[in-house]
Order: sequence, then C-alpha cells, then structure tokens
Amino acid sequence: MIVSVAQDTGGVKDAGKWIEAAKPDYPVLIDTQHLVTRLYNMVNVPTAVWINEQGRIVRPNEAAYVDNRLKAMTKLDAEEYLNALRDWVAKGERSSFALSEKGLKERLTPQNPDWAQAAAEFGIAEYFYRKRLEAASIRHYKEAQRLNPESWNYKRQAWALSDSEREYGTSFMKEVQKLNGKPYYAPRQLPEVKKQDQK
Amino acid sequence: MDKIYLFVWGALLCLPAMVTALAVETGRRVVIYDNLATEVAAPPTNFGTADPGVLWVTLEDLKRATQFVLKPQGVCRDELCFPIPKARRSAFLSEQGSITWFNLSEFARLLRQPAAFDAEQSVWYFGPRSDEQNSYVDSLIAPDFTLPDMNGKQHSLSGYRGKKVLLLTWASW
Repeated sequence: MIVSVAQDTGGVKDAGKWIEAAKPDYPVLIDTQHLVTRLYNMVNVPTAVWINEQGRIVRPNEAAYVDNRLKAMTKLDAEEYLNALRDWVAKGERSSFALSEKGLKERLTPQNPDWAQAAAEFGIAEYFYRKRLEAASIRHYKEAQRLNPESWNYKRQAWALSDSEREYGTSFMKEVQKLNGKPYYAPRQLPEVKKQDQK
Repeated sequence: MDKIYLFVWGALLCLPAMVTALAVETGRRVVIYDNLATEVAAPPTNFGTADPGVLWVTLEDLKRATQFVLKPQGVCRDELCFPIPKARRSAFLSEQGSITWFNLSEFARLLRQPAAFDAEQSVWYFGPRSDEQNSYVDSLIAPDFTLPDMNGKQHSLSGYRGKKVLLLTWASW
C-alpha cells in the first residue's frame, strides 16, 4: 500500500488542494514539521522508501516519479521505477530490487553532525515561522541551508514561505540553472533486470 | 506597564528583590524539546560564562521541559539514565541557595544532541540524540511516526505492519 506524506509547513492550507484534486484511495498525511524528512535523512521530494511486511526497509530514499511529465528535468524514467516496484510487490524478498542487508548497510549512513545541526536549525526556524517571527525564522532557515546544502527541502520550503528574491537573493529556477547539467536527483542505481526475471 | 510596575514594586521592597524581578522579567526563555515548547526561568547569574547559548535551568523546569529528573544514578527519564561524568559534575550542576541549576546545553553535548539557539528571542531547540536519529541504520527498521491526514485522523506507519508499504513524500512548494 501507499503511505503518502506532504512535507508542508503550511499544512492543509498549502497541501489540501492537491490532495482533493488527487482523490487518493490511500492515506495522505500532512507533515507540517518535516518529521519524515528528518527521520529518514531525506533531501528532496518526491522521495520514496520501500518497507516490507515486517517494517524493515527494503530500498531506502530514492527519487520516485510515477509519470514522465518532468523527465526532461529529472532525467529519471518513471516506467523503469514502476516496473521495479511491481516486481517487488509480486516477488517480495526474491525480487532483484529488494536490497540485501549488505546492500542496505552500504546505502544507509548515520546522519553527519552538520546535517543533524541543520535539522535543529530548520526546527527552530519552523517554530519562529509558526510564531510569525519572520526575521528569526529566516536566519535559521538560512543556517539550515548552509549546514546541509544538499537539502532541496530546506531551500524550497523556506523560499516558498517568503519572497525568496528579497529574503534569500535567489529563486528555485535560478538554483536549478546553477546545477548546469548536474542531476537534480541523486541517481537511483536500480539493478539491471535479468533476462530470466522478465516474464 | 508591567515593567514599570515591577520596577516600582522592586524598589519598594529592597535591592535584591528588584534584581530578581528584573532578571525574570527580561529573562523569558523558551526551551523546545521533543518538539514541545516550554517557558523556563532564567538564572540570576550566568555562572561565569560569557556564552549566551549556555542554558541553565532549574530541576523543576528540567522536568517540565524535558521529563528528565536528577537521580543518584544520573539524569533519568523512565528507564533511561545518563550518568553525569564525576570529574565534570560542576559543569552540569550548580547550587545557588536552595535552588539547583542544571546545564541543559552541556547535557545535550554529552548526549550528542544538536541544539539550535536564537539569542535575540532566547529560544533553544534540541533535536534528537544521535543514537535515536541513527538507530535505523543498524536495525534497518523503518523509523515510525504518527501524522494526521487532512481530516485530522492520525495514522502511524507501524499501523501498516503486515503490508508492503511505499512511503512517499511530496510537497506543494
């Protein structure tokens, strides 16, 4: 099943209309404090984690698009990902996409201290935002962005809450252009599907 | 109005009372621990440090803000206890008259807990301990959480045990 979680400081006010439009038949949760981002050390959206029946991680954080509307920018093929997902749903641990314990340990690393500090800075910024102390929130959003420059979540959420040009001197489109061809998402490293696995 | 009132009131009593009143008045502090914000009292002195980020709280405020209590074996919450390093006891505890003050920012360092501080607003935010944050790296168990849907109904990830779950984050921004 799908458990979908909106990483939105603005809560229902910002995320609600998207949920209503999607009419999902699975739970869509609203995470106003970006708790899931912090718990799983995520840096971008959409990010998905595969979790088995015992609650164990099968594949950690990966960019997860379900269609190819943004393929030109993401350079990710949704079909390839959906096929991998279907393969795991059908075969479980026997799927070549289910990572072994060794494979998981290679991908899961403890949060580095700067990122932990960044999460705390983001947390205090969110507190100030809720208290309508905008200047205080912006100084700590900036500190979170400085300490964890890989997090697009910290940047994009903060920019969305104020005039990003005025307060941060930049915008999402400008920052994407600065990537200069470098991928916006970390590559997914899906294994090649073996011939005998394809039916 | 409150400040003037306090000032006059303090002056009428005596100097020590006035100093205390002003310290409390100007020393409104907020501690955010486990995402809960609690207002705590400021100490009458800064215990010899110039660093405004050092946070001393009373044992009473420690319990209110963090649920931790001082016991003979250490600083404890339920079954969990962290011993205070003997050689550095004075870095954590200070007796001022009848009140014992506890250095919460030093305790956070001991626990490898990130802390963000805002001097202007006098707010301290404590994140999860490093061992809490990283326990899934060894256990491989997906960290659990409970969050509401748009109708306010709470859902826990662990409530979906027995099913395969695709946990998917997205955002409006």
